[in-house]
Amino acid sequence: MAHLRTEGICKNFGGVRALHNVDFSCARGEIHALLGANGSGKSTLSKIITGVVAADRGTVYINNRAAAIHGPNDMFAQGISAVYQELSLIPQLTVAENILLGQEPTRLGGINSKAAWKRAAEVLQTIAAKLDSEIPLHVPVRSLSSAEQQLVEIAKALAREPEILILDEATASLREKEVQVVFEEVRRLREQGCTVIFISHRLEEVFDLCERATVLRNGEVVATVNLAETTEQDLLRHMLGEVASVDSLSVPAPQDRVVLEVKELSSASSFQRINFQLRAGEILGLGGLQGQGQSEVIQAIYGARPYTGRILFEGQEVQIHKPAAAINSGIVLVPGDRHVEGLALQRSVLENVTLPSVAHRSRFGLLKMGREEEVTAGVVERLQVKVADVHLPVNTLSGGNQQKAVIGKWLLTQSKVMLLDDPTKGVDVQARLEIYRSVEELCSQGVSFLLSSSDNKELIALCHRVLVMYEGQIVAELAGEELTEENLVAASMRITPGVKGVS
Amino acid sequence: MEERRALEPTFKERAERHAPLLMSVVVFVLIVAVNRFLQPNFFNRFVIRSNITTFLPLIMAAIGQTMVVLTGNIDLSLGSIITVVNVVIITLFGKMPEATGLQLAIPILVGVLVGLLAGTVNGFLIAKLRLQAVIATFASNLFWMGLALAVLPVPGGSVPWDLSSFYRSWFLGLPMSVWFLLLVMVFWALLRRTRLIRYFYAVGGNASNAYRSGIRVEWILIGAYALCGFFAGLSGLALTLDISSGDPLVGHPLTLSSITAVVIGGTLLSGGSGSPIGSILGACILGLVRNIIFFANVPPFYQDFIFGVVVIIALIVSSLGARRRTA
Ligand SMILES: Nc1ncnc2c1ncn2[C@@H]1O[C@H](COP(=O)(O)OP(=O)(O)OP(=O)(O)O)[C@@H](O)[C@H]1O
Ligand SMILES: [Mg+2]
Repeated sequence: MAHLRTEGICKNFGGVRALHNVDFSCARGEIHALLGANGSGKSTLSKIITGVVAADRGTVYINNRAAAIHGPNDMFAQGISAVYQELSLIPQLTVAENILLGQEPTRLGGINSKAAWKRAAEVLQTIAAKLDSEIPLHVPVRSLSSAEQQLVEIAKALAREPEILILDEATASLREKEVQVVFEEVRRLREQGCTVIFISHRLEEVFDLCERATVLRNGEVVATVNLAETTEQDLLRHMLGEVASVDSLSVPAPQDRVVLEVKELSSASSFQRINFQLRAGEILGLGGLQGQGQSEVIQAIYGARPYTGRILFEGQEVQIHKPAAAINSGIVLVPGDRHVEGLALQRSVLENVTLPSVAHRSRFGLLKMGREEEVTAGVVERLQVKVADVHLPVNTLSGGNQQKAVIGKWLLTQSKVMLLDDPTKGVDVQARLEIYRSVEELCSQGVSFLLSSSDNKELIALCHRVLVMYEGQIVAELAGEELTEENLVAASMRITPGVKGVS
Repeated sequence: MEERRALEPTFKERAERHAPLLMSVVVFVLIVAVNRFLQPNFFNRFVIRSNITTFLPLIMAAIGQTMVVLTGNIDLSLGSIITVVNVVIITLFGKMPEATGLQLAIPILVGVLVGLLAGTVNGFLIAKLRLQAVIATFASNLFWMGLALAVLPVPGGSVPWDLSSFYRSWFLGLPMSVWFLLLVMVFWALLRRTRLIRYFYAVGGNASNAYRSGIRVEWILIGAYALCGFFAGLSGLALTLDISSGDPLVGHPLTLSSITAVVIGGTLLSGGSGSPIGSILGACILGLVRNIIFFANVPPFYQDFIFGVVVIIALIVSSLGARRRTA
């Protein structure tokens, strides 16, 4: 018997068809993957199940009974709990406050803070105990890294002791080890009869964790498969119609001219004495375990973090103490956390995409709307951004398409160095390839890239060289033949291949 | 060895968390010092009583304003609600000239209740009808103003002698106005432990995420405005006891002053962080600046100018704390 089932779910947003006649079902105690390209409707389906979005038509059944879920409280009452792709945390509240938000234990009419603290610690322990670094309960979540926030969001969902757990790209900003810890917990929940819906763009995760998968394409269910009898290629074909592969990339060799050089760059406790040269048309990777200072180095070069040391741009020493200075020099940032830094979410796709390059096209301070629409359409076309109308607000795009919009806006500027901070987080396979292609193309035009990524495959596919960071320092440089996944992992953990142990 | 993050709040973290409040404390202490310098009997107990009594209406208004600002909203009708409370209390006193003892409490209770109701109405406009807070309370401001004029078209009336002398009396060495303030602070100390207040912060931090977490955002907003109205009621009461008469325009300046006090007190207008304790300090700072200008013998023409400049400086200093925190 199906634990959770949907029948004939339809949802349109204005003219955009997000879901069409979706029949979806999973059995009790099953871990069921929900797959599909960016904008195929995965998040929308989750939100309909959780009552955050109302379906136009169709019914959700729980234990074969039609469930009237009109909002989050109905969802909790049904034993459903969700990790949202865009997270549902309150940045100002502490970790403990966030984990129990909406279900604080009370005593004499007030919050019983002792009991709350104990409960929050208990819940967080279920995942955080197995990790190397602990997450303090008392700090506001906005001071956590995005991976830590992700873990807190997961803890918050677990705190509801769900019978049905929806994980919408819950692992997108996590590294291998953290992912495994989360999986362990998910499997434990399954043993207790919890049903899990798992959404991810990383297919190896899907094969590792799930039993069955339902694939959405353009808002319709195209297949439901048993993963044991399915290959990655099959899944990709279901998701995309046709199969594309990363192997087709051929990044041209860099030129000799050095564009950016940093000397003895340090910033408080985040990183120390970083030295490197970036040549024209080069893609330089920053690898290593999560949170070893990679993002911070990128922020410093972008002028968003105070630093000591020197930055030379085209041979000249430059003072970059705010992002405007970086952008003026032609250094731009594609952030991993597009919600915070990359986009003005309420504004339209067109405005977001054209904003940084508007000055190039304006005449006497005036803009031609037609021309703006044309260039936006060009970007949308080139990156295959799925959007019905470029005048719609960016926050109506699916997660992956928002990320493409961030990259798109910098494509229009004549930037010389692009800083990419985990740029394909939450981006589907197809779009990822399109983003790689754009990087490749810009690279052949002499644009240089500094790329930090939580995905080793991405570093290998794109980079000429990778600098591996550990505790704020560069501990290895890998290039050419040496640039393999094995070596990357070993260097990240400071293990010399063949020799066990930490140096 | 990797630098481990402390699992208990460190001194630095605590300090950073309270930076905005600390900034207002610093400003407050400075202003008190200047005031003391210009007015040698500043710490005289009668001077203290008179100061607190004068500041109390703004203090209460600022606490009320804080409630809605924490949720990321604003109340532009606050001053007019205070006026309504004032004229209602005075009118009721006028209607019961023989009242003594506990009967005197009736106009007071009705007045505070009217404040609470008015706030609740604002809350409904914003939460249920989904009007923008600025627009909704600007419109309701006109409504409350009109209502006050209808109740009491011309200034007048008085508070019964028994009551005003009670308000000026001392109890256990402290003036009644100070007891009033202490009582409200105790009330806040209890209130801040409730879920309601926690949810003010959550809704102000991110309303849609609060909604997804199962918080009934609409009711929280109504609660914030109702509580704001309740404090407007207390403000109206303190004002009435202080000026001992009714005036259909009296509360008006309190709207903007309360917002200024909230900001000086380190509460962000964008919502989600701050506290009414800061706002109390903010209100006192505003009052003390007025004092200083008076005692410094600033010519009347320049008083508003100087006041404006000092307020801007106070805002800058207190925002230093807030900016550090968000950086
Ligand atoms: N609030 C909204 N208003 C308008 N359109 C929307 C809204 N939410 C989603 N959409 C559209 O519905 C479609 C499905 O979006 P959804 O977020 O469900 O995709 P997804 O499968 O989760 O993609 P991703 O992998 O990128 O997260 C997209 O075309 C998106 O633009
Ligand atoms: Mg999604």
